[in-house]
Amino acid sequence: MMNTLIFLLFFHIQAATNEPPSDDSAPAKTGPEIIMEVESPEESAQNTEETSEDKKSPIKTDGLVLPEVTVEGEKAPGQDDTADATHVSGDKLRDSPRGSTLEAISQETADVYVSGRGSGVHGVSNGASGAIHVRGLGGSPNAQVLVVEDGVPDVQGIFGHPLPDAYVPFLIGEVRVVKGGDSTLYGSNALGGVILIENRWRLREGFEIENDAAYGSFQSTKETLSLLGRWGDWDLASAFHYYRTDGHRDNAGGYNMVGATGVRWRILPDLKLTLKDKVIHLEGEDPGPATHPNTGHWYDVWRNNLSLRLDYRQKWFDFRTLSYLNVGVHRLYDGFYSEDYTAGLSTEADIHPHKTLDLLVGLSATWIEGEVLDRLAQVDDDDDEEEDVKGLANYAFYNQLTWKPLKSLSFVVGSRELYSTKYGFALLYKGGAKWEFYEGLSLRSRITRNFRQPTLRELYLPFPTSNPDLKPEYSLNWDAGFGLDYRHVEFSFSTYRTQAENMIKYFGSWPSAEVVNIDEIVIWGVEGRFGLKELGPVNMFVTGNWQDVGRYTKQNPDAKVNFTVEAAHDFGEHRLSGSVSGEWVHGLYMENYSREPIDNVFFMDATLRYRYEPSDKDFQLEPYLLLRNILDLRYEYIENYPMPGFNVMAGLKVRI
Amino acid sequence: MRQPIGYPSFFVTVTFLAAVLSVCSGCDELYPEVVVTNTIDEHILIRNISFNGCKWDETLAFEESSSPGRCLAGSDRIHFQRFNPKTYCEEQVEDETIDGLCFCNEEDKPAEDPMDTGLINEEPMWFNYQTLKTYDVSGGFHLFELTLENMEQDFSVPGPYGH
Repeated sequence: MMNTLIFLLFFHIQAATNEPPSDDSAPAKTGPEIIMEVESPEESAQNTEETSEDKKSPIKTDGLVLPEVTVEGEKAPGQDDTADATHVSGDKLRDSPRGSTLEAISQETADVYVSGRGSGVHGVSNGASGAIHVRGLGGSPNAQVLVVEDGVPDVQGIFGHPLPDAYVPFLIGEVRVVKGGDSTLYGSNALGGVILIENRWRLREGFEIENDAAYGSFQSTKETLSLLGRWGDWDLASAFHYYRTDGHRDNAGGYNMVGATGVRWRILPDLKLTLKDKVIHLEGEDPGPATHPNTGHWYDVWRNNLSLRLDYRQKWFDFRTLSYLNVGVHRLYDGFYSEDYTAGLSTEADIHPHKTLDLLVGLSATWIEGEVLDRLAQVDDDDDEEEDVKGLANYAFYNQLTWKPLKSLSFVVGSRELYSTKYGFALLYKGGAKWEFYEGLSLRSRITRNFRQPTLRELYLPFPTSNPDLKPEYSLNWDAGFGLDYRHVEFSFSTYRTQAENMIKYFGSWPSAEVVNIDEIVIWGVEGRFGLKELGPVNMFVTGNWQDVGRYTKQNPDAKVNFTVEAAHDFGEHRLSGSVSGEWVHGLYMENYSREPIDNVFFMDATLRYRYEPSDKDFQLEPYLLLRNILDLRYEYIENYPMPGFNVMAGLKVRI
Repeated sequence: MRQPIGYPSFFVTVTFLAAVLSVCSGCDELYPEVVVTNTIDEHILIRNISFNGCKWDETLAFEESSSPGRCLAGSDRIHFQRFNPKTYCEEQVEDETIDGLCFCNEEDKPAEDPMDTGLINEEPMWFNYQTLKTYDVSGGFHLFELTLENMEQDFSVPGPYGH
């Protein structure tokens, strides 16, 4: 935090003497693309910022007053153009019929697989779902895919993985899924993939409130209230989300509360200070296998993520510094109690020495610590039995050079020199190229060497077992592909090879369980997407993935297909829209070596929405209906955890 | 100037939501209702009864029935734990673990053995059982009777000895 405050003070003093930068001082390369469309003030009133903004004066032409133009769609800082990435808008996630944000993301790209176990709550510990697999890595342990929210890696200190229920889409502007990982930019855990979540801010002066209340099967209740505001030099993005369900079977219910607040002070046009805090409370139970259900296997999780970020933008460089603290308390029915924290600090500069060059350099530090008690195994009347956990710390210097000799040609190289207090020095690197050789047509390829340090749980906690001698995992991921995005047609195809060494795997079950490094795995796969856009009122796409995961088949499916057909039509102030989507998963096993196969997953969901938006006022009313598993099919991702049959959620969204 | 919401839109919204909430409430009716009855033996108690996602936390004596439970559609065996209090009492009397309890007739008492007291078990033992038959349900009301002929030990979960 200290360096943030020093930096803030420094630039506040500078502000008194410096002229604000002129328009032509904007960075030549990283600047956003500006697309101006003439629209009435009413049409632009609901705009919200996705990632950043530039502001210009109102324009008058031919008697039509153009609104202040806010530029959207800026490339995220340090973004690697050569990475194979899928972009998902926040609106798409908010409108999705899928039960959680991670499942909604997996609906958009077939090489991301997310397990589920019920209606809306993934849970923690035994029986939890929400494991994320990207191209064969991830899942169990769920620490090989990194989730980064507004630049902050979401890593639970002891468990080393994200909390699947922590992501609710009310404030999300965009999600970007980087396949193949990128430890050069994001450090540990970005082994198989990175899910980058960017939250939004309001674009124009004023406030907007959106309330989304829904009720449905299994006594499920959802209430989301978000408030976005912009006044003077200040921005506010705040929201509260509450979800509760009885669950589709005994003891499958749960409760999830997420509150988030972000405040941004635009000290200067080029200098911004952002404070964000997010609180998560999660309660529920592991219902156990359907054949032998559990009673009373509850969990109770509190987490808090706090971050402070300073952004400074100049002609030749951008500068960012970020401090964060992620704290959590977990309680389980069996006496497990843990407190953990992850703290981090990073500073990076994006330098543009030439119009063809972009150099990103950064320093980062991460500390992970925790404390675990078995509250039922008391040593004496006063003391709980405490596990011996030693914290981990990482320090890193990283860099990424982007060279664009031609407008259509990009080369990216980068490295990360990481020092771990437990594992010493590690060199991570990457290199990639992208050629947009014709309008809408592109070729790309990239190779990355990624890293994951073992979690504190894997190293020290006997739940069910631990091994302090574990070595870190490394992966060498390569992919290549081409894409076409032309008029109504969107097509992409990628082939990938994932090679990982020192993979950490659990074998057996308590009391004879063990966790060890295994030698090496190689996964080959292909992934593609085909879409037809704006065919009248209809959009449709299908995405598929096939992979050969070798022996380690546990919850790592061979093939997955997702499809969506959506249509919308405006009748003046009224809009009617709907969608049908589905997922098919093949080659799913509960154990490695193709043991305990699970039947193919297939289900279809549908949505129906009606929106009333009068043209003469800032108001929107949208009743909607989410119809899940409309064919009432029986399927399960996790053996003996059947998913719900046909179920319904109806809601009303109001925006003013 | 702000104007009130158009009445047609308001009407459409309210009607839509009312219809949908009715559908939501009715969705649970798609799930089968299951009742389990203990008709095994007059001396047998059963507890921890489960079937395809349902779990009953009650203990059923002979000819007692569980409350109706909303289970998942699909097929499963009925799983339960069985306890024979008659046999248990006889063993405890035999081992003289309960003061004041004895055999009514001296001839019922087994011959004295050089018994290892370490083997005496005073804990009631509930053994895991399941039906031989698999039941498939997909809505409606189902009543299943547990019988002695339709049950076997269930070794898929740890028994009372912990293995």
